Amino acid sequence: MVLEVHNLHTHLHLKRGILRAVDGISLTVGEGETLGLVGESGSGKTLTGLSLLRLLPKGSGRIAEGSIKLDGQELTTLSDSAMARDIRGRRIAMIMQDPMTSLNPVFSIGDQVSNPLRNHNIAQGATLRSKVISVLTQVRIPSAEKRLGDYPHQFSGGQRQRIVAAMAIGCTPRLLVADEPTTALDVTIQVQIIALLRQIQADTGTGIILITHDLGVAASLCHRIAVMYAGRIVETGPVRRIYKSPAHPYTQALLAAIPRLGDKRARLQAIPGQPPSLIDPPQGCRFAPRCPARMDKCAEPPPTVTLADGHEAACWKLA
Amino acid sequence: MLSLQNVTKHYQTRRGTVRAVEGVSFDVRPKSTLALVGESGCGKTTIAKMILQLERPTAGAIAFEGADTATMNAAQLKAYRRQVMAVFQDPYASLNPRLRVGTIIAEPLLAHENPGRAATEKRVAEVLDIVGLPATAARLYPHEFSGGQRQRIAIARALALRPRLMVLDEPVSALDVSIRAQVLNLLADIQLEFGLTYLIIAHDLALVEHFSNDVAVIYLGRVAEAGPTEQVFAQPRHPYTQALLAAVPQPDPDHVLNEAAAAGEIASALDPPSGCRFHPRCPLAIDICRTTTPEPRGTPHQAACHLVEA
Repeated sequence: MVLEVHNLHTHLHLKRGILRAVDGISLTVGEGETLGLVGESGSGKTLTGLSLLRLLPKGSGRIAEGSIKLDGQELTTLSDSAMARDIRGRRIAMIMQDPMTSLNPVFSIGDQVSNPLRNHNIAQGATLRSKVISVLTQVRIPSAEKRLGDYPHQFSGGQRQRIVAAMAIGCTPRLLVADEPTTALDVTIQVQIIALLRQIQADTGTGIILITHDLGVAASLCHRIAVMYAGRIVETGPVRRIYKSPAHPYTQALLAAIPRLGDKRARLQAIPGQPPSLIDPPQGCRFAPRCPARMDKCAEPPPTVTLADGHEAACWKLA
Repeated sequence: MLSLQNVTKHYQTRRGTVRAVEGVSFDVRPKSTLALVGESGCGKTTIAKMILQLERPTAGAIAFEGADTATMNAAQLKAYRRQVMAVFQDPYASLNPRLRVGTIIAEPLLAHENPGRAATEKRVAEVLDIVGLPATAARLYPHEFSGGQRQRIAIARALALRPRLMVLDEPVSALDVSIRAQVLNLLADIQLEFGLTYLIIAHDLALVEHFSNDVAVIYLGRVAEAGPTEQVFAQPRHPYTQALLAAVPQPDPDHVLNEAAAAGEIASALDPPSGCRFHPRCPLAIDICRTTTPEPRGTPHQAACHLVEA
């Protein structure tokens, strides 16, 4: 396994109290595997990604409990300097949603793509330059050698996201965390970035965690899916199982709530209510207040039930 | 109900003329929903702004129930404005955080009718009830509500004056998946109940297919394809519409995306391509596409493409 996360708890210490943003999740990512972390805003998917890189908000964010292992090495106890030197940008890299904010407008793209390579002593001098050109070519920036001196604003939105991807894959990371990498892009550009991520994985064998709220993007890119709700993973399984035979009422409701191409005009099945506050979450199943299959038992924490090989859901109905 | 004829909008900038909208024509039928679809920068929001009288067309005419908005006097324009309301994408930006919800919803009423305090409060409570919020919500501030509830408040404000046409600019894109369906169902309910006409701007094609009766696909300021939603989605005729539909990821792991349907990216409206504006990305482009602007062919399902037979 490239990544093994066990019982991870990430807390945000706010004035209003402790927000349990990630509340005991476990997941794994294998070599060459893409895991989709799917959920709505506030479900904890982004803070899970930031926990892996130990990039939590300064002061308020804390990993309270649990273990994160990269190739068997424990990361939660690593010093900040070792994290910066050996892990972040080197063995775990990240692609964020908005390429305009992840690129620095006052540095040329040649500078920005060489930075991680230089900082992690991957290449220097002429080798560095040729390495930068080869990574930019790999993400299909046309005539890369002529554009090293250009600045982010001279590229289109899709090209900028390609440059961000080039920065992330330069050091051939073991794990790529992609947080909504296509959300800011138009649909014809989105499909190009999906193809690029697939190609990067085929070329390098990197594990990918795709964080997204878009069930279409997740279906087209992921091997396995973990569905998050209110800080917990409610269901996890192979992509085909999750979409063809979802077991948890939340997964079922989510899949029923989205309009699909080719469906006739009809009423959408809305999910009533809204997610709970994570400062004082319900004791039992967190989806229970909105769940059509709610029972008395749901006031207690639900058991995780194995339905098939690798397919698990946390729900009393399945117990 | 609403008719656009050859509407054009150019902006003069230091770098030259931005041809944001170029000769766009379409009709919105009463009590139906027309969707404007296209990628960022295609001009769909500029079209909405012109309909809302926030921008003036450089050329062309926008007519509401047969009356040209360009020749309306001040009183007629005011009457037009109260019949045409808007709901915007981001309910965090469109509601003033310093005002109570009741004041926010009452604002259009006070500007147009000023019916007195009791009547205003009654109307505020009515529209809050229509959008599914308790009357007590009027006393609270926007930050006390979730995103979906805020969008309900924005809809309530738009409803306060009993408009006839609503311009919905990406009304659910800022909302979570589980909340989107609630708001879309609400919009469908009030359309039926009050006989509203909708012009919706959206980039989510599955939503458009689900929600609209007619659709106009815009590419770089021009209508590429338009017609009844069912026909356009079942048999897209313009290569751009075909590319858009082929690129939509489906919540189905067996669905295969067509990654080659539209190579490259949308050109700049500062320097749009000659001929058909889609030709640099079009897999089917022939010589005439580079030189001659295609006229729309077919009715009611029209496509502006040289390869489409009339």
